[in-house]
Amino acid sequence: MLRASSETNKQDVDLRAVMGQAEGDVGVKGGAELAAFAEATVTGGDNAITTTREGVLRVLGPEATVDAAGVIGNFERMVRIADGSGIPLDKPVALVSADIREKIGIDEFASSRNTPPVRGVQRVIGRIMSKMLPLMFKLFGPEREKRDSSTN
Amino acid sequence: MNAFTNLPTEMPVRENLTSAYRDLWDWIAGPGNWWTGAERVAIAAEARGARDCEFCAVRKEALSPSMTEGTHTTVQDILSEHMVDAVHRIATDATRITQSWIEETFSGDLTDAHYVELLGITVLVISVDQFYRALSIPLEPLPEPREGEPSRYRPSTAESGVGYIPMIPADLLVGDEADLAAGPNTPNVVRAMSLVPDCVRQMQNVSAAQYLPVKQIATLNMDVGRALDRAQIELVAARVSSINECFY
Repeated sequence: MLRASSETNKQDVDLRAVMGQAEGDVGVKGGAELAAFAEATVTGGDNAITTTREGVLRVLGPEATVDAAGVIGNFERMVRIADGSGIPLDKPVALVSADIREKIGIDEFASSRNTPPVRGVQRVIGRIMSKMLPLMFKLFGPEREKRDSSTN
Repeated sequence: MNAFTNLPTEMPVRENLTSAYRDLWDWIAGPGNWWTGAERVAIAAEARGARDCEFCAVRKEALSPSMTEGTHTTVQDILSEHMVDAVHRIATDATRITQSWIEETFSGDLTDAHYVELLGITVLVISVDQFYRALSIPLEPLPEPREGEPSRYRPSTAESGVGYIPMIPADLLVGDEADLAAGPNTPNVVRAMSLVPDCVRQMQNVSAAQYLPVKQIATLNMDVGRALDRAQIELVAARVSSINECFY
């Protein structure tokens, strides 16, 4: 979703930030501070949380800090739902994300066992779909649904 | 319910967040589909307590969860040892949960639907607690349980075959479960707990406040009414997921 949203909104985001591997500007305002806050909340102690939260407060303000805390809470939940239920990636997502998952190391995660590997022709299809991602979101996302329902 | 009112004024916590959390606490307090209110509040207490469990810390470092023996640090006396273990696994070592472990643990009187309801309560409480922890706000006291019997409702449309537990296929989210649908292709993660539909409803309600309403997730260029823009939101989401080694 980070890649799709940055491409749709024409932002050049360093996706290595997802794995904590980016250095300097990650292409998102306050990106380094947000990533550090997320990391501290998931793995760190109270002092680390306070220090990193102050970084977000300084750069992005209190409303953004509350929003970030909400997103952290949300994904602490979603990862456990996915792991606890053993669901695979949805097929289209598996196809379009195959290259980036391999590139930044997500395929190494233990829970990758729940999703069949994407190989051969599917991999090629995934690459083509990946190039068309922003267009696909426009064509098949909720905006399309809204357009359809308003014309019915 | 008078919960979630004691928030620091310097942190502008949105009303939709406190409202979603209040609804969640109210839901946890009452009887569910498979557990009583007292059992559900006990599950919530263990979800909260698991992060301080020494046995969980040792087990997480082990090559395999089955290679360690020990006793969990528990904070209630209602749940059996196996159920405490289930809550703690979800809370601290979810990546290594397997279908065979679920089938062994939830057999006899305990069904896969008991597991889903326990999963739902556990993960929802963790998501609220982590929000509070991130803002260094003292955790909200758990609700007082309400009397009543579980409904034992199980949707007849749920099918096995996608993940470890049966779920309702996207095209069968109709009738009483129509409100669970998130567009024409409801993703697996939204349907994962659909064996207990109220778990999905609560997840969607809390998600809408903490992240985005599920029907807006695929609209990438929309003003979502947050102080963070979409790329900032997704960066935080992706970083949390990667630290937790979440492939999904």
